Amino acid sequence: MFPGRMSDIPNSPAELEGKVSTQNAGDQAKVYAARMRLQNALDQADALDAIREIAVNLIGTEEVAVFKIDKKRSELWLYWSFGADPNKHCVLEVCREPRLTEVLGGKPVFRSRSANENLLSTDDPVSALVPILVDGSPAAVIVLFRLFSHKTGIEPVDREICEVLSNFAGRAIEPYHSR
Amino acid sequence: MPKKVLLVDDSTTTLMMEEMILKQRTDYECVTAKDGLDAISRAVVETPDLILMDIVMPRMNGFEACKRMRQQASLRATPIILVTTCGEEEYVEAGFQSGCSDYITKPIDGFELITLLQSYLGE
Repeated sequence: MFPGRMSDIPNSPAELEGKVSTQNAGDQAKVYAARMRLQNALDQADALDAIREIAVNLIGTEEVAVFKIDKKRSELWLYWSFGADPNKHCVLEVCREPRLTEVLGGKPVFRSRSANENLLSTDDPVSALVPILVDGSPAAVIVLFRLFSHKTGIEPVDREICEVLSNFAGRAIEPYHSR
Repeated sequence: MPKKVLLVDDSTTTLMMEEMILKQRTDYECVTAKDGLDAISRAVVETPDLILMDIVMPRMNGFEACKRMRQQASLRATPIILVTTCGEEEYVEAGFQSGCSDYITKPIDGFELITLLQSYLGE
């Protein structure tokens, strides 16, 4: 039997404090590992692999894609994907995707646990839209699709990891972007 | 003498995260391997007190590595915990068939990980 799942409810304030501090240590480790992995990416391919690793191992999705924003900022073109069907998601038109306007402002957008609304007009559930900032401006968007079935939604630590992705994944789309 | 944990994953992000959690919250000593084959040779040399191993890896996956470790006399009783992306029954069953002692699902939760490891190794 798996004891971690049996002891979710702490028996005492000290145990609760221990749980919280272990939880915090785990969350900090995730954010730190994500940042180090992206900052130490060897090249563009390695940076894309870092995005995949972070999505699968730290956030909990096996479907992720990167879309590059065109110069007019009216369309986003599929640049790279892992686990997501590339034929279903070639281009995203900003005028048809209201949540993209927010992302083009530079801030990640997350699907709320309670709302039924999808973040994009696709059949596939979209959990987060994360802008990749290059020199402070969004140059691409990471789309995180369906989360693992045992995961109930985007958690606070996932939001922090997405901030790291937003700020340190530039090398994935700009080969000569400084680390 | 501190307990030794062998962490096995082809993802450097995961290894970094697991090692950081264990170093912050326990006295366990960590050694790492990048795939199933590497894990077997490291395990034979290091004789860890516990092995935490991913399933999907290049060269040799976690199920196969687990089976082969169980064929080694020195590793027959070592707790092996597999890290899986899904907790579905058939996947978990395949893990136990390969000889694993327990499993934990991705993304790894720090508290769950520590609690699980301590249940085998003590605090």
